[in-house]
Amino acid sequence: MNYLNPDLYNALAAQYVLGTLRGPARRRFSRLIMQHSAISEAVNSWELYLNSLGEQLPDVAPDNDVWRKIEQRLGFIQAQKIASQVEPAPTSKFEPSNVVRIPEKKPRLWQALAGLASAAAVVLAVLLVQMQPAPISEVTQIAVINNQQADLLWSIEITDEEIAVRATKALQAKQGVDYELWIVPEDGNAPVSLGLLPKDGASTLVKPLVFEQINIAALAVSLEPLGGSPNGSPTEVLFTGKLVIL
Amino acid sequence: MKQDPMLSLLSATAQGDKAAFAKLYQASSKQLYAVSLKMLKRKELAEEALQEAYVRIWHNASQYRAGKGTVLTWMISIARYRALDILRYHSVRKEEPLTDNEVGVQTSSEPMTETQQGLLEKCMGALDVQQRQAIHLAYFNGMSHHEVTAHLDLPLGTIKSWIRRGLLSLQRCLKL
Repeated sequence: MNYLNPDLYNALAAQYVLGTLRGPARRRFSRLIMQHSAISEAVNSWELYLNSLGEQLPDVAPDNDVWRKIEQRLGFIQAQKIASQVEPAPTSKFEPSNVVRIPEKKPRLWQALAGLASAAAVVLAVLLVQMQPAPISEVTQIAVINNQQADLLWSIEITDEEIAVRATKALQAKQGVDYELWIVPEDGNAPVSLGLLPKDGASTLVKPLVFEQINIAALAVSLEPLGGSPNGSPTEVLFTGKLVIL
Repeated sequence: MKQDPMLSLLSATAQGDKAAFAKLYQASSKQLYAVSLKMLKRKELAEEALQEAYVRIWHNASQYRAGKGTVLTWMISIARYRALDILRYHSVRKEEPLTDNEVGVQTSSEPMTETQQGLLEKCMGALDVQQRQAIHLAYFNGMSHHEVTAHLDLPLGTIKSWIRRGLLSLQRCLKL
């Protein structure tokens, strides 16, 4: 088929934006969008017109929780922070016993030392709280992503609610690209994006419902332009890893 | 020409301004959620699409160009693609049948200030009722050809041709 015929690619662009172009034809067309600027312009024009339809729907307010999850997903706030805010108890346990026992007439030096000691206790308590894993839910599955030399690049822990990912020092992330994590369904369906992997340190990904609903053959990592896959399919698969149930 | 009210928020977002991004969310999330909820029907799926859309909007804010329509149209486009993806993965379809009232979307309640909207409205209005209805079902409810066919209880070939011819008439009318 000659995709560079304007009548054809315009018609396909319309069905792509409308959503009636599906399956392998949709995947093929999304590759063509990346390859040919005329096709990508046709898609843009249809997006511009058809999606103004969406503005006609009456507003529906999402739950407040959704914004918190977006902030969490983008790393603006961390799950652990929320957990430690909920449990400020340990600090108050140390403080009073240190402070109360100091006789009032002791020299200032003692007071200063006591102050330091209680400050240290507070620091210690905070550290202890931070070192404990967030008591949200248990890890039920794990996966590791290795490169071809078997270096561990990312470790992935899956709980009932979320996916915790950590990049290791072995990862030499390239500039100007992102790494995206995918579910590879066992039934041969298209991969499902789980979100962007951290290039250093740790991050938390939202666990989509589909995670529990399908059989997963493997997890895959793809190389993507900044911001992730432009079309919902992995651009270049770099690595895969098996899920292990604990 | 009137300045797009969301443009300054989006350009600040592109510079990494989290407060502007929060305001952009406040200003637009109700509209994006309406679009994804209408397509996905289930609250948890619609929320998932919304989250994914805003993650992408944060990362891709700098890629918006004036030629891509209003900022809101551009964001709706992102949200709709996420919702279409989710529809693909969850072949689970909404259980309750849609009423015909749901299909006929009210177009006159909001004043149309943008030229694209005005032109689209005019061109959609010029379509056959059947073509318009089939396109509305695909657009707002994210239905495939097969699903529109089942919904309207007509042969697949008929539906495909209504949608194809409807889009072609739109294309001519919009001069794309």
